[in-house]
Amino acid sequence: MSGTVTDPTPTNPTPTPTDELVVSGLSVHYGGVRAVSSVSFTVGPGQCVGIIGANGAGKTSTLKALMGLVPRTAERIQFGDHDLTRVKARDVVRHGIGYVPEGRHVFPGLTVEKNLLLGAYVRAWKGETRSTLGEVFELFPVLGEMRHRLAGALSGGQQQMLAVGRALMSKPRLILLDEPSMGLSPKLIEDILAVLQRLSAAGHALLLVEQNAKLTFEATRTCLVMENGEVAMTGTSAELRDDPRVRQIYLGL
Amino acid sequence: MRLRVGGFAVAAVAAWFLPYGLDLYGIHVIDIAIVFALLAVGLGLAMGVAGQINLAQVAFFGVSSYAVAILTTRAGFGFWTAAVLALLAATLVGVLVGIPALRMQSHYLGIVTLGLALAFTNWVTNSTVTGGADGISGIPVPPLFGIDLSSEYLYYYLELVVFGLALAFAGFVAHTGLGRRMRAMRDDSLAAGAVGAPVPILRMTAFVLASLYGGVAGVLYAGLIRYVAPETFSIANMFLLLAMVIIGGRQSILGCVVGAVALALLREALVDFSVYAQLGFGIVVVLMVVFAPTGLAGIPARLRRLVRRRRTSDHRATLRPFRPEPAGGPDRVGASLEISGISKQFRGLRALDDVSMSVAPGEIRGVVGPNGSGKTTLFNIVTGIYGVSSGSASVDGRVVTGRRPHQLSQLGLARTFQNLRLFGQMTVRDNVLVALDRSSMLAVWRYLLWPVGIWRAERDLRARADDLLERFGLTDFAEAAPTSLPYGIQRRLEIARAMATQPRLLLLDEPAAGLNGQEVGQLGEIVRAIRADGVTVVLIEHNMGLVMSLCDRVTVLASGGVIADGTPAEVAVRPEVIEAYLGDSMNTADIAAEVESEAVR
Amino acid sequence: MEVFFQTLVGGLGFGAVYALVAMGFSIVYRTMGLVNFAHGQVVMIGAYAASTFYMTAHVPFFISIPVAMVVTGLIGLVIERVLRPLENKDFDLMLIGTIGFGMVLESLATIIWGATGHAVPSPVDTEPLDVFGIRIRTYSIVVLAVAALATVALVLFLQRTKRGAAMQAVAMDHEAATAVGIHVGRSNAVAFAIGAGLAALAGALVAPMLYVNPTLGGSLGIKGFAAAILGGFGNIPGAVVGGLAIGVLDSYAAGRFQAYSELVVFLVFTVIIMIKPTGLFGERTVNRA
Repeated sequence: MSGTVTDPTPTNPTPTPTDELVVSGLSVHYGGVRAVSSVSFTVGPGQCVGIIGANGAGKTSTLKALMGLVPRTAERIQFGDHDLTRVKARDVVRHGIGYVPEGRHVFPGLTVEKNLLLGAYVRAWKGETRSTLGEVFELFPVLGEMRHRLAGALSGGQQQMLAVGRALMSKPRLILLDEPSMGLSPKLIEDILAVLQRLSAAGHALLLVEQNAKLTFEATRTCLVMENGEVAMTGTSAELRDDPRVRQIYLGL
Repeated sequence: MRLRVGGFAVAAVAAWFLPYGLDLYGIHVIDIAIVFALLAVGLGLAMGVAGQINLAQVAFFGVSSYAVAILTTRAGFGFWTAAVLALLAATLVGVLVGIPALRMQSHYLGIVTLGLALAFTNWVTNSTVTGGADGISGIPVPPLFGIDLSSEYLYYYLELVVFGLALAFAGFVAHTGLGRRMRAMRDDSLAAGAVGAPVPILRMTAFVLASLYGGVAGVLYAGLIRYVAPETFSIANMFLLLAMVIIGGRQSILGCVVGAVALALLREALVDFSVYAQLGFGIVVVLMVVFAPTGLAGIPARLRRLVRRRRTSDHRATLRPFRPEPAGGPDRVGASLEISGISKQFRGLRALDDVSMSVAPGEIRGVVGPNGSGKTTLFNIVTGIYGVSSGSASVDGRVVTGRRPHQLSQLGLARTFQNLRLFGQMTVRDNVLVALDRSSMLAVWRYLLWPVGIWRAERDLRARADDLLERFGLTDFAEAAPTSLPYGIQRRLEIARAMATQPRLLLLDEPAAGLNGQEVGQLGEIVRAIRADGVTVVLIEHNMGLVMSLCDRVTVLASGGVIADGTPAEVAVRPEVIEAYLGDSMNTADIAAEVESEAVR
Repeated sequence: MEVFFQTLVGGLGFGAVYALVAMGFSIVYRTMGLVNFAHGQVVMIGAYAASTFYMTAHVPFFISIPVAMVVTGLIGLVIERVLRPLENKDFDLMLIGTIGFGMVLESLATIIWGATGHAVPSPVDTEPLDVFGIRIRTYSIVVLAVAALATVALVLFLQRTKRGAAMQAVAMDHEAATAVGIHVGRSNAVAFAIGAGLAALAGALVAPMLYVNPTLGGSLGIKGFAAAILGGFGNIPGAVVGGLAIGVLDSYAAGRFQAYSELVVFLVFTVIIMIKPTGLFGERTVNRA
């Protein structure tokens, strides 16, 4: 029931060894219905971990529970030195965790720049934040070109970039991504994969929830498969890709 | 059902003997309460069933009362002649107040109807015809076969009969096709139009029904009190009426009656402390809205659900496999779709630019392209949700652009939506029933003149709904609320609902989004079976595996224009398609393999 | 011509008040996505609070305004807290809930201050100005100036401050707002308090222009709401233009149709809104299928 921690990515610049997410016994209930039951896993510093599974398997609920956005119970949610079990949703970002919600959820009536600045809500909007803004524009040049456009007028792919950029603005050490490929064209999914690889190369730890198993296996080293709110399988992405059951159900082969 | 009939019988008998236990004042209070109950039923039909915010109910009531008063005292009409004319007047005002509902909804509609109600009060308080602030007195006692209706006891029986008929009619409307279409419109007007419910006419019908009940209440009130004055039709009373409907439960006709009678009695009991009564009503409305949004009528269902959840949590309904119709059944062929030179502008933004394509009868056509390339816009144009800037689309040679969604549904066009649009507060069966119901709105006369016909049609529809659910493997979920179901089942239900309209052209907008590999495989089978049934299918999809294996031809859109059109194998290797849509590293290799394996098959 | 201008100018004073009421509607809508039908009654309470304090404590009128703002601000906080479970859920229910609050506030005012109401002397007792033969009440100029200041302050707050951006973000997507660290509850409470503060300002300013009574809120609220919709719901400059337009229309109708002015105002409003449902400055929401 628990994922492995090994990921010898050599390009990690700064993460301190304590920046590890340890989750154990995480459960989510919605009014009597159990969506996630006692899930445990670990995301090591700078590591990329994927969660795949069908709709309703509890993937999104797991991420939301980590963020504190849904009522949860857990034996332990620890990130680095901090215990997050009792931390409120609005304070999770202050501990270095960024969140890219399912379906993008940008602020449609605000400009691209305001959206990004709000990503840095917990920081002062002067000085260093400006340089982070520059870094995001460097990563996503299209956002720089459209900085004064309303986010709602962006295409789906651009909104996804904006949602990732917004999460980066808080300078997170771990980024939770919920279905970044949803509704995107094959080419944009490729772009998303490239972005994930760059984030990972820059030393960010990633927890990627995906419906698209193919993308997940390419972007991560370690994967969990969730079924009916439980972790059904764990393993390296390469192993899972060759597993006959996974191939049948999740890759449709 | 038997319980319910028994309940009504007991209530009817109790109501019949009620006056024997009441003094003159008591019967007066009850007579007034019945008038309010009629108003509340009308408001419940408009707000709870049809979802139209109507804050002008009190004006419909007033128009009718004043019409009776003016026609009898000033124009010398007899009471019943005046009553018929008053009903007509109220209905006419209902139509007028309903017109704004064609253009706006929700709070916009709230303020407009409230403003019109205020305009009415303003008029009756100042006009000489209406007697100004003094009102009109001296309305004659309604004659009725020599029965002395100046006795409030006897008047009670008149009211009781009228009310019984009105209540039965409201229940009949709410539980048959018309009410179902109105509920569908309340839950999602776009989807309701797409399955053939004529939304504009339904909105007008909601206001006409509300004004009809307001009109009947007005006539009864004028005959009972025989005096009308502006304060009866004030905004304060409108809010009281609203409180009755909310507290009783706006989606239940009986709830509205219970709320109306309870509050009318309470108001009478607290008549010496009317300010405190007002305060109390306000507080109760707030509490109900927060803690019991379905009102008193919804409480039993909430309790039942609570108990049921405890008890049967381990019982699992299952999605059965889709059962294709025996092949060779219908020998019809799908419709052709011809799109020629369609352009669409959104405030200067060009979403579609001279798009042309033609889909042959019985074809499965894929439409792919980058996000924002105009695929869904194209669907919205073909299904009548958007108009075109130029160009046209035709199905089997009949031009479809510029028509309303419900008209296109009657022409044999059906669609699903990218983000599911099911009727959330209706059961799975009702979702399908709305779409199965192909009756024209011209047939609503039957509600008044030939209800038996409605009953028969209803029974037939239910049988067909069960067949369809069975065929799509959804039988276990017939009574479930769609929003409580897993995503994959909701997707399938949406296809079942679209197929219930018996289309000849089906448009699917990203049907595989959010499905896992296995479910995508099932989807492919369903679409093939649908085609075999004589339906042309056009689908927007990003899942290239599905597109490659399923579609006869593929059209690729990029930034509002067609960049390629051909068989999947042809299109997948075109450099401009790879450049704009497919990308080159990850997917093309897979797709080539996919196409190869498909060719081998 | 002179009569025309006189009517126009006469309407601007009330127009400024409607604009303030409309801004209150708009700010709460834009920051919380809530249509507060009790807003008119909050304005009425503001009018009572300010005028009662002004007349009984004998303090300068402009000191009584902040007092009224505190009172209405507290009421706003209570409304927000009670209806919080409905936020971002059922729009129509919330609408009806605020109507319920309106009933509560109106009956509370009747219980506290009685049903008869009171007149409030004008705090500015200079003669009307005479500009090219048109008489302008000095008090109207004061009202216009205050409304203009409030508008500028509000627009700057929403566009230039972090808190302002955060409040709009909450209305657009409360979950995403929470995830970036915004305290949604506090943000909503502040939004509601600002709305209520604007209501107090409107109420206090209108008190010397009208007879203050418990039903004042109903008519002010409805006209203010109409103004907000006319300008484009949620749009602050739109609310101002809509308010002034309703004020002028009101004054014109009162001059031309006397007692039937209300009838005329609402008929005209209905026709305009039928032609342009999104209002003068409303953003066009594309109905995405």
